[in-house]
Amino acid sequence: MKSVVITAGLCLVFFFVWERVDIVRLGYHIERLKAQKVLLERERDQLQVKFSALTAPERIAKVATDKLGMVPPQQGQVLIVHPQQAPPPSLEQVRIARTISTGKGER
Amino acid sequence: MGPSRGRRYSLLVLMLAGFGIILFRLVTLQVLQAAELTARADRQHQKSVTLEGARGTVIDRHGKVLAMNVEVPSIFGVPTSLDNPANAARFLSPVLHIRREEIEKKLRQEKHFVWLARKIEPEQGHRLEQLSIDGIGMVMEGRRFYPKGPLLAHVLGFVGMDGIGLEGLERRYETQLHGEKRMTILQRDALGRTVFPKGLREQVPAAGHALTLTIDEVIQYIAEKELEQAVDHSRAKSGTIIVLEPQSGAILAMAVSPRFDPNAVAALTADRWRNRALTDTYEPGSTMKVVVAAAALEERVMMPGSMLFGENGRMTVASTTIHDHEKLGWMTFAEMIQKSSNIGAAKTGMLLGESRLYRYLQAFGFGQRTDVDLPGEVAGLLKSPREWGRRSLASISMGQEVGVTPLQMVSAVAAIANDGVLMKPYVVSGMRDQKGQLVKETFPHVKRRVVSPVTARTLTTILEGVVTSGTGTKAAIPGFRVAGKTGTAQKVDPRTGAYSSALSVGSFVGFVPADSPRLAMIVVIDEPQGEAWGGVVAAPVFRRVGEQVLTYLGVSRDDQVKIAMVAPQ
Repeated sequence: MKSVVITAGLCLVFFFVWERVDIVRLGYHIERLKAQKVLLERERDQLQVKFSALTAPERIAKVATDKLGMVPPQQGQVLIVHPQQAPPPSLEQVRIARTISTGKGER
Repeated sequence: MGPSRGRRYSLLVLMLAGFGIILFRLVTLQVLQAAELTARADRQHQKSVTLEGARGTVIDRHGKVLAMNVEVPSIFGVPTSLDNPANAARFLSPVLHIRREEIEKKLRQEKHFVWLARKIEPEQGHRLEQLSIDGIGMVMEGRRFYPKGPLLAHVLGFVGMDGIGLEGLERRYETQLHGEKRMTILQRDALGRTVFPKGLREQVPAAGHALTLTIDEVIQYIAEKELEQAVDHSRAKSGTIIVLEPQSGAILAMAVSPRFDPNAVAALTADRWRNRALTDTYEPGSTMKVVVAAAALEERVMMPGSMLFGENGRMTVASTTIHDHEKLGWMTFAEMIQKSSNIGAAKTGMLLGESRLYRYLQAFGFGQRTDVDLPGEVAGLLKSPREWGRRSLASISMGQEVGVTPLQMVSAVAAIANDGVLMKPYVVSGMRDQKGQLVKETFPHVKRRVVSPVTARTLTTILEGVVTSGTGTKAAIPGFRVAGKTGTAQKVDPRTGAYSSALSVGSFVGFVPADSPRLAMIVVIDEPQGEAWGGVVAAPVFRRVGEQVLTYLGVSRDDQVKIAMVAPQ
């Protein structure tokens, strides 16, 4: 009986010590993860700034005109398409559209 | 009592003495010196730091980032712990791009801390970390970045080295933008590492609120690009364009030339970063005739077909002569506006009378701030009729003796586009906390009705005539109905105090499409060289900006054949 009590006591002591050590170990681990999170957030912010700078309209226009040789659309070259405004096509319209797009008449 | 007993007593006394000493020491440490020792231990184990939440981001109406904070390295030196400052300076100089002598001078000071370079590029920080010089340290600080460079700089403003907003929105919304400051105590181990500071519930200071603007970065870019070209082309001193939604007062673009880069303001002066759209006043000239016409129509002093005599281009008022740019005879009221007759406007003003004209000028917002959410706005100059001279009624009717800001003028004309209702212009549409929750939302604010819808529509038709057959034909946008008014005002020469024949302001203010306005816009070109007429220097800019913006917004041309995509069945 006595040995059982002593063993149980020792186990409790070991458990207590192990728990304290583990808390400290986890604490260090959390701190490492936090530091990593800070670094990743910093990197994310730097990338965000870079992305914003690269997508600036001024830069896009410069690349489009200087590097790719594009020009702004001239009058009448832009047609606004409104998908919502069209009433549902009739079956006849669809048949004609298919005929035009395939270049073959229905037989 | 034998010798063994005596030894036992001696041993007991020794032990008691030993325990006594331990007890004494214990009481000394735990009771008498407890406070001092606890404080010393705390100093060794705890480190108190001030944490600051990141400054809020600024985004445009589509979420495009216009300003944000990024943590970057700042480099400091501890001169008292440096053995060889000259050597340290030799290594630091090429990385920091600072002269070696300058660094060495700082490192030779009798100080425990000196800043060597603040908020440097991250790459420089990486290089310094690799060098690992004793006595040189690095801390991370938030640096404000404006990734679009000069885009919208006059509206955004900038922050100082300590991260406090000094100009523009950064200043106006400083309280909301800056992050929370919080003092935290960190526990350190023997190696100086942070140990599990406050448990998992450590309070991180909250970031500042993010601002969502009404600005559209693409429209802003179009306005700035065209304004820069116009100012360069006319060799003008400066220029301003404001584009806003007439129905809400939301500002879509506010461009000021010359531009500046808020990422590098150290070498600039206030003259460069001043937001002229609301800090500078000018005599509007003929654009003021829009307000005079609105008042005359509303008060039924004039109808579009009412006849006026142009006095063949010369009229004497209060011993001074008013000129028109061409000899005009009889004309209708509508033609008077379309041809921008000063004499016709003066006569209209005289028919209205001082009190009625003044009342309408006030109603349209002149002589008072628009209360736009930007700092530095001025009220302009509108004297009370008691201070008017004998010529004032005629002068004010043709846009002299009155000082307005471009923002006041475009707001007034936007009221005509908005069926006679004056809206309060605004730039910030919403504010969100760091979790993305909406903290504050700005709704369009009606200031007052200035004229009836009938008057607004009648005047719109007259203003369309300005663009189709009047002084503003260069503002015409093919496929759209444009309503607007040109303005050319001589400036007062500061040396002589009289109107200068060389200095002038050319402007155009209007809205498009006239029948269903999507944009109200003002273009002001200050001191253009050569031809300075508003119809020549400003109207073409209105056309170019309007055309691109309408295309960008997907507004169909009136003459466009309606095309619709048909989804496949």
